[in-house]
Amino acid sequence: MAEFSTSTKDVGEVSVIYLQGYLDAHTAPALENTFSNLVEKGKYQTVVNFKELAYISSAGLGVFMAFIEKMRENNGDIKLSSMNDKVFNIFDLLGFPLLYEIYKTEDEAINKYIESKNLEK
Amino acid sequence: MSDLDNIKAKRNLTALVEFSRIINSSLDLEFILNNVLLTCMGKFFVTKGLIALKINGIIIPKSSKGFTNDIINNFPQIESSEKLFEDNSFKNFLASNNIAVVDKISSPQECLGIVCLGEKLNKTSFTEDDTEFLRTILNISASAIQNSIMLDELKRVNRALDRRVHRLNSLFELSKEFGMFSESAKVARLLVYSVIGQFLVSKFAVILFNGEHPNILESKFDVSELKNLIGKYNFNEIENSVPKNEVEEKFPLLQKLGVELIVPMQMQSETKGLILLGKRVNNHNYTETDIEFIYSVGCLAIISLENQRLFKEALDKQKLEEELEIARGIQKNLLPREIPKYSNYEIAALNISSQHVGGDYYDIISLDEKNFCIAIGDVSGKGVPAALLMANIQAFLRIICKHGMDLSEATGIINDLITSNTSDGKFITFFWGMLNDESPTLQYVNAGHNPPLLIRNKKIQKLELGGIILGVMKTFMPYVTETIGLEKDDIIILFTDGVTEAKNINDEEFSDERLERLSVKYSKLSAEEILSNIKNEVQSFTKGALQSDDITMLIIKVL
Repeated sequence: MAEFSTSTKDVGEVSVIYLQGYLDAHTAPALENTFSNLVEKGKYQTVVNFKELAYISSAGLGVFMAFIEKMRENNGDIKLSSMNDKVFNIFDLLGFPLLYEIYKTEDEAINKYIESKNLEK
Repeated sequence: MSDLDNIKAKRNLTALVEFSRIINSSLDLEFILNNVLLTCMGKFFVTKGLIALKINGIIIPKSSKGFTNDIINNFPQIESSEKLFEDNSFKNFLASNNIAVVDKISSPQECLGIVCLGEKLNKTSFTEDDTEFLRTILNISASAIQNSIMLDELKRVNRALDRRVHRLNSLFELSKEFGMFSESAKVARLLVYSVIGQFLVSKFAVILFNGEHPNILESKFDVSELKNLIGKYNFNEIENSVPKNEVEEKFPLLQKLGVELIVPMQMQSETKGLILLGKRVNNHNYTETDIEFIYSVGCLAIISLENQRLFKEALDKQKLEEELEIARGIQKNLLPREIPKYSNYEIAALNISSQHVGGDYYDIISLDEKNFCIAIGDVSGKGVPAALLMANIQAFLRIICKHGMDLSEATGIINDLITSNTSDGKFITFFWGMLNDESPTLQYVNAGHNPPLLIRNKKIQKLELGGIILGVMKTFMPYVTETIGLEKDDIIILFTDGVTEAKNINDEEFSDERLERLSVKYSKLSAEEILSNIKNEVQSFTKGALQSDDITMLIIKVL
């Protein structure tokens, strides 16, 4: 069975989710739980780090669609970072780059939150 | 040729070589077109330039300088490059934009597109040399343009192919997953995630029609609104996918809710559910292949959902079967295993339980040396509840018999006990009597049971006296008893409605008349023989039909 795990880390007000392994139909519920937990805690500013993710399927992509509105309604976002080429290609193929911010590194993504916060001030 | 001309020609040549080198070193169409335009504009001192290429037979502006977006967007649609200069809209375009020169870009095989250049800055007209030079530039660039168009096309095809491969992969993966999941909620969620991930959708719903009411498994639309609308439309009659324009036309209220696409989930071309989708977040429309993909995913999911439902049904049925088996066991154990022998009576009994296990009951209980009790009853309902109620009445009966009570009083007590022990309208039709083995007499009470027949000299007397059926209300009027002195060769036939209401294949009942006629006909035979004859008559009458109720008979012959 394909293995998949997530872990989260808080960087200031931003929650970083690390994905590892294969995110497919079977493992999608795990990521769903991770997002649900963050929503419950009122943590809407998220960065998903794909560095250790080997594969993502449509069902996996669906999880991002399922939560993006919730996050954005609450002044948050799901920003994506550190994808390998194969994973990025799938996101690109389906047109995700138009809707999601995708960064080369986790730090860039986190900084975006900090920048926009500074702008508000 | 003057020196000046010479130098000019040399410079032109050098420029052309450089141009050719740059153009041919790239496969980036934008870069190439940009370079062609800039070179022309620089060479001829022109402020406006435009290159339009033939794509799928239509000439479309691909690169331009000095034109407003408006003008580019309103570039005339020209389908044939042969009749380019006869096209009025194109002529208008040339005139209104002061285009000085138009030339075709042609490969050896075909026309690739056109170049339009505006007036020279110094308002002089294009010389022959100029047009010659332009021709050369375009000839040089033609092959580079053609190559890069082909590369673009190749990339596009590749990407389309990638997308299809991805979809096939998704389908494959889902079919695997759907086979593994057991909860319908999980299957629905998986279905939804795959679709919204694939098409960038944020609003969706999945509706199933597997029960009496449509079941909303997942919804990001307003659920209460959606429930309302389900009542308004006949959703389960949707047989084909309903695209945006038809949603608007046929389901305007759904469209208001944000539904842009309805895809049925079908099994054996029967609609078992629906997928409702809102608009794609990237504002693209759903193409036919998109809808096809969603339909395929939906069909995969519905098979999984249906399988679960059938599995559950099978489980329930199995449970019911087990319950019936228990009921049959209880019933069997309640009936007398063997019939006691008496000096003045011959007794024969029969009980055939039906498929569904009814609540028939009969009993023969010895009271003392001289007296014994016979009883027959039919408990309403079937299965375990009926069997338990039957066990109840048997227990009461045995206890009461031990106490040697008066028949009428005892029946009253049994009725009270049964009434307080039953709910939801259960009742028992019941007949019982006491027989004396010394000087044959029968004392009986009939509590709403099919009246047993007493046959004497081919005449029938119905044993009807008694009171209301057991279990309906507390005894408020004492049950009436009747005592009959019995004579030799008297026959008493006790039976349940399973006998008289047994149906043949034409749905006709065996009937009381038929039973009475046969009872008289066979009254000279022994109890055992009468029983087997009537049983055979019933069985040949009902041949081919299903037995729907228990059949019970008790036959007593006075010796």
